[in-house]
Amino acid sequence: MEGYSRNGEISPKLLDLMIPQERRNWIHDEKNSVFKTEEKKLELKLGPPGEEDDDDSSIIRHIKKEPKDKSILSLAGKHFSPSSTKTTSHKRTAPGPVVGWPPVRSFRKNLANGSSSKLGNDSTTSNGVFLKNQKCDDDVKTMEPKRQGGMFVKINMYGVPIGRKVDLDAHNSYEQLSFTVDKLFRGLLAAQRDLSSSIEDEKPITGLLDGNGEYTLTYEDNEGDKMLVGDVPWQMFVSSVKRLRVIKTTEISSALTYGNGKQEKMRR
Amino acid sequence: MTQDRSEMSEDDDDQQSSPLDLPSTAIASSSTPNKSRNCISSSVTLKSQTFPDHVLENVLENVLQFLDSRCDRNAASLVCKSWWRVEALTRSEVFIGNCYALSPARLTQRFKRVRSLVLKGKPRFADFNLMPPDWGANFAPWVSTMAKAYPWLEKVDLKRMFVTDDDLALLADSFPGFKELILVCCEGFGTSGIAIVTNKCRKLKVLDLIESEVTDDEVDWISCFPEDVTCLESLAFDCVEAPINFKALEGLVARSPFLKKLRLNRFVSLVELHRLLLGAPQLTSLGTGSFSHDEEPRSEQEPDYAAAFRACKSVVCLSGFRELMPEYLPAIFPVCANLTSLNFSYANISPDMFKPIILNCHKLQVFWALDSICDEGLQAVAATCKELRELRIFPFDPREDSEGPVSELGLQAISEGCRKLESILYFCQRMTNAAVIAMSENCPELTVFRLCIMGRHRPDHVTGKPMDEGFGAIVKNCKKLTRLAVSGLLTDQAFRYMGEYGKLVRTLSVAFAGDSDMALRHVLEGCPRLQKLEIRDSPFGDVALRSGMHRYYNMRFVWMSACSLSKGCCKDIARVMPNLVVEVIGSDDDDDNRDYVETLYMYRSLDGPRNDAPKFVTIL
Repeated sequence: MEGYSRNGEISPKLLDLMIPQERRNWIHDEKNSVFKTEEKKLELKLGPPGEEDDDDSSIIRHIKKEPKDKSILSLAGKHFSPSSTKTTSHKRTAPGPVVGWPPVRSFRKNLANGSSSKLGNDSTTSNGVFLKNQKCDDDVKTMEPKRQGGMFVKINMYGVPIGRKVDLDAHNSYEQLSFTVDKLFRGLLAAQRDLSSSIEDEKPITGLLDGNGEYTLTYEDNEGDKMLVGDVPWQMFVSSVKRLRVIKTTEISSALTYGNGKQEKMRR
Repeated sequence: MTQDRSEMSEDDDDQQSSPLDLPSTAIASSSTPNKSRNCISSSVTLKSQTFPDHVLENVLENVLQFLDSRCDRNAASLVCKSWWRVEALTRSEVFIGNCYALSPARLTQRFKRVRSLVLKGKPRFADFNLMPPDWGANFAPWVSTMAKAYPWLEKVDLKRMFVTDDDLALLADSFPGFKELILVCCEGFGTSGIAIVTNKCRKLKVLDLIESEVTDDEVDWISCFPEDVTCLESLAFDCVEAPINFKALEGLVARSPFLKKLRLNRFVSLVELHRLLLGAPQLTSLGTGSFSHDEEPRSEQEPDYAAAFRACKSVVCLSGFRELMPEYLPAIFPVCANLTSLNFSYANISPDMFKPIILNCHKLQVFWALDSICDEGLQAVAATCKELRELRIFPFDPREDSEGPVSELGLQAISEGCRKLESILYFCQRMTNAAVIAMSENCPELTVFRLCIMGRHRPDHVTGKPMDEGFGAIVKNCKKLTRLAVSGLLTDQAFRYMGEYGKLVRTLSVAFAGDSDMALRHVLEGCPRLQKLEIRDSPFGDVALRSGMHRYYNMRFVWMSACSLSKGCCKDIARVMPNLVVEVIGSDDDDDNRDYVETLYMYRSLDGPRNDAPKFVTIL
């Protein structure tokens, strides 16, 4: 799967299997020029197109894949040596990308691709991606920031500017979720209402699921629909929920019809 | 950048006063505890202790309170039990270079009156994706222990730690006098956690988020600052990749009379910057945000940006330019002559645009830029910036086979023009020994030399020889050198030089270098001050690793990845050195029986192996 290193000696049999017709024609025609230094970049190698490597690339990859390599390479008729000895006469074929090299932090890496968009959800700024199977470009992006396991969904509450996140993996039922919502927002809500709130003044947030409380818990599912929490079996809920919102019970009908009652979007 | 000791802390974390502490920036001199506070605490002790036996301790306490440097304090604490006790009582700032070197409980048991904590977590190579996520360095156990032990805590400065929103919430709840939060290269939290801090920490003076990953929870954290006048002196959020409520920010700046340092993120446009500057002429350090705008401005309505900068007579440190529109760059002309620190490292500026700017910057001491300024730009720097102490040139296109607009020519020019240079980080595609030797001879003040020739194993491109002589000259001629990062084609000879001459080197970074175990042996046997050793993809094996056993207890950590180590050897070392934690880090699908060690990370620890290691970490 990973790019292997070799310098152009590929068994014709394997070539038949791996290289589609069009490319093979090219290599036969350009036989003489293939071995010029500049065109080494274009040389066909074992591995997916676009990924290239040279002899002394990361030992991590070589030795990791060694058992698999050996069988394929024996077909190709080349002796695979995972040594890292280099000589000064070593002519570099087009180097493949190596994890973490050059040592530039990821938020500095995307300048050449043009400025990231201003929408703010740039997964390219994510620097938590461990590129085990390294790719040339950052297509191991994640849109949703991954935390330590857990399925985190955002939750906002009417009247509270601070949103929180809830780990649904840590819950097994609606009651547990309701308890967590109370725990997360009780203090914040009290702080919003009254500057001098103390613990005793804080009212518990109850009746989120049955319509009896001042507030009700709603959610947005993966199709963008807004629904009341509690109607479907728990597992079904967990598999489709994207975002949670605590709204005023009096606003249920308008919230579910007209949109999510979001507070002002933070634009300039 | 200058004021951010935290950013430079890799280079000078043992020096309490950075050579670049500028008089105009009194903030964030995190090394100096407030002496008057120590006076108050010690006078309380005086009153309660009247026995003659304790007279000496009182005297000691009064004297020791003036000791700031942690090296001095460490030395004082070794004199005798009495000194140890008093020193522990009077230490108000604690620096922990490796969060796994000790447990939080040990910290709170020894030091009772801590007001400030500096804590570092993951090793530096984690920044380059060489370590799987969720490795550890959790802030949680620290904050929960300190919440009970240090209710008067004022400052927390973290680097490469995993910090959650809950940790921030606990911090905001537990420390009513909390003043300074600095998070460098951290992750695990979002704008909701920040909002809790801004909301609850009423005495907050410093909120610096630097190169951290902050998730966008769509929370208007700027609005969460209290409505009345704030104590804010420094607010840096240039790394926050989320839009902000500009109106709230404007209001915040207007009611923050002590604000000196403001670093905006790229969601603040030029027009908005203009408005902020008009309202905050007292700023000394400014991160300019995007330095561009969305829509086509109608020219008759274009604000006078230069006038806004002209009004900022105190600005000495300039950064930002995240999405620079180069035609607006001349607006900064009015402040150039005052600048001591300039960070263009996000701005793709050509030499032609750059030269008119830099020719005015005579006082510049710290300069960061992209290599898009080319050798030509560096020559202009060399011609003008005679006071330059620190230079960092980052690659615009950080790939091994990219064009490489800077070379040995730029390095040579800098060495000739900037004789006071102390620290350099230089990314390039081609280099010569001659230029590196020249720098070693022209810049005797160098303490940090980090050269990254991006093509692996690349020799001197003129002579074809290895880069041994160049790096050898650096360790030999730069007598103050404490930090070295090498690259290019290097044989064992380069390491022989390092072992022979690198007597003050504390931090060494090696990648794709050396021929044999001897190379590493030279370093381990020859560099008595070595503290932090990070090696990747180099042919060093068990023999080399064993040769350093006499040093590992005196080092902060050793990192070796993609070398030639065996598990057997690492187990041996772990067995013989019980206070050394030997972590072997693999990937999830590794076969446990394999003898090959992909990544070794080992460090001394007073409290044994950690209990939060993920499954891909094996502690031997």
